[in-house]
Amino acid sequence: MKKTTTLLLSALTAFLVGCGKAPEAKKLSVFCWSEYIPQSVIDQFSKETGIQVSVENYASNEEMLAKLTAGGGQYDIIQPSEYVVEALIAQKLLHPIDKTKIPNLSNIAPQFLKMGFDPDNSFSVPFMAGTVGIVVNTDLIKDDIKSFADVFKPENKGKIVVLDDAREITAWALLSQGLPINDVSDANLEKVKPVLANWLPMVKVFDSDSPKTALLNGDVAIGVVWGGEGAILLQSDPKFRWIIPAEGTHLFIDSLAIPKTAKNVDNAEAFMNFILRTDISKQISDAFPYTNPNLAARKILTEEQIRNKASFPSDEEMAKMQVFRDIGTQGSKVDELVTSLKAQ
Amino acid sequence: MSLIAVVSGIRDTGVYRRHPSPLAWLVLMPLLAWLFLFVIAPTLMLVVVSFAERDALGRIVYDFTFQNYIRAFDWLWLKVLFSSLWYALLTTLICLFVGYPVAYFIGRAPLQWRGLLLMLVMVPFWTSFLIRTYAWITILSKDGLLNSLLVSAGIFSHSAEILYTPFAIVLGLVYNFLPFMILPIYTSVEKLDNALIEAAYDLGAGPIRAFSQIIIPLTRPGIAAGAMLVFVPSIAMFAITTLMGGGTNPTIGEVIFKQFTSGRNQPFGAALGSILLLIFVLALWITRKYREED
Repeated sequence: MKKTTTLLLSALTAFLVGCGKAPEAKKLSVFCWSEYIPQSVIDQFSKETGIQVSVENYASNEEMLAKLTAGGGQYDIIQPSEYVVEALIAQKLLHPIDKTKIPNLSNIAPQFLKMGFDPDNSFSVPFMAGTVGIVVNTDLIKDDIKSFADVFKPENKGKIVVLDDAREITAWALLSQGLPINDVSDANLEKVKPVLANWLPMVKVFDSDSPKTALLNGDVAIGVVWGGEGAILLQSDPKFRWIIPAEGTHLFIDSLAIPKTAKNVDNAEAFMNFILRTDISKQISDAFPYTNPNLAARKILTEEQIRNKASFPSDEEMAKMQVFRDIGTQGSKVDELVTSLKAQ
Repeated sequence: MSLIAVVSGIRDTGVYRRHPSPLAWLVLMPLLAWLFLFVIAPTLMLVVVSFAERDALGRIVYDFTFQNYIRAFDWLWLKVLFSSLWYALLTTLICLFVGYPVAYFIGRAPLQWRGLLLMLVMVPFWTSFLIRTYAWITILSKDGLLNSLLVSAGIFSHSAEILYTPFAIVLGLVYNFLPFMILPIYTSVEKLDNALIEAAYDLGAGPIRAFSQIIIPLTRPGIAAGAMLVFVPSIAMFAITTLMGGGTNPTIGEVIFKQFTSGRNQPFGAALGSILLLIFVLALWITRKYREED
């Protein structure tokens, strides 16, 4: 009897010790934006590495944050935007990255690395960047549109689509007043309030998911939309023109990061390296024409893709863009301001 | 438990009071577990969170505060709530006026036709309402089907603005919730006793009087149930209102949704949700009272 117990105990110990040292399971759990990583890319990763990938999607950074901080799911890879990376680092919710395992990081253009939200790229690698700009249907609007101020003019009332995003809209108003987009102090919000009160009633459609629909259907003639949406419109019809606002605009950088609670860190790093590979990055650009920060991949894009102004703004235009920083609870005030002016 | 009693209509009259046998409890167990897990527990969580605070990342901090409720009674949010209530009321009334004749017609149709007619009412449910809403966008947009038809037929000289207007919101809501009005009224109409209507005519009532004094009161339970089934979900509906209204008229459902997402303010969203819940319970309680009086 005693023998059996000892045997069982030692077997159990061996099992437990073994578990501790065992290599990671061949699994990876990805929590990413919907419509951002093509399924073909995920499939190819599984095929090449034998790692089984499960994907879950979200539609906004905040949705991801809510699920991540509630501890509902076990995720190995998340895809936060710049200001969320900053907040997650501050709250110590990200796992540091072993950059030696991500040699393809050298493919990324230096201008997208070592940015304020993650100064050493210790916690994040850029996935895709993009911008917000103006799309004009030149069949319907003949004026030369150059700036946000040109968009929100009385003659365009009822012909405008904008992103349904309080922080974005407020950022444009701040830019139009020459204020920095991240300084959303009460005083600055008070300053842009009359601007927004003037702008918002002119808007016909608020849509963040697919602002191109209203433009394609002819319901509106001008829009302030994501670069990726703009690029698709430019591809679809030459009547659409893309303009980076003279006041400057918002540059967003969506990254890949590993949450602190991740179980398969090695696999996550392998996935990051895979995504940054030249041919894979090109596949992503083909499906979602945002600003690809991957220089090596840009070299193998078609000339038409590179020439698309909405995907690839000029350096001059890039210089005028600003990235979002985390504004914490002030976000509620921004939201309230925009809602109150919509409901007026 | 009194809340459940109100909602489920179990009246504590004393007449039926009997101690259920252990077997009855066993049979009831799945239902009770379901009620607890998916009705009582979430509601309690909502109420608890509505008295909490949140940090910069939007995580809930359990410090007791009335702040969310104080903020909820700001005129801004009340205005949004009233506008949602108004849309819901309008939707309910239109559904009633459109749905009643349809339900009456189906309920009085020859028996062999009823199944088919009812089926036609329910067929749209086989497709997700989001897909059907997107279909409306294709139909109503400026270069859409309806406008091209009207213009080519010479009825309109140029495309009309139909989509992204308050009219489109109400159309979307009525279209989506109409079956919820038709079905309960149909069940009442089907049970109508013909003899009572004939008696009304025999006693000299005209069609209007027979309708208002016999048919309407007899189908009142159906009307009440239908009104409830349309009114309650249309207050909180935000997908249809944003997609077809263009998001220019914030609704209370949309505002609550945004508190849980981009607003990073779940406690405030929970407070607004609790207030809405209270309105629903009140509405149900009033209908219940009204039905008891019959």
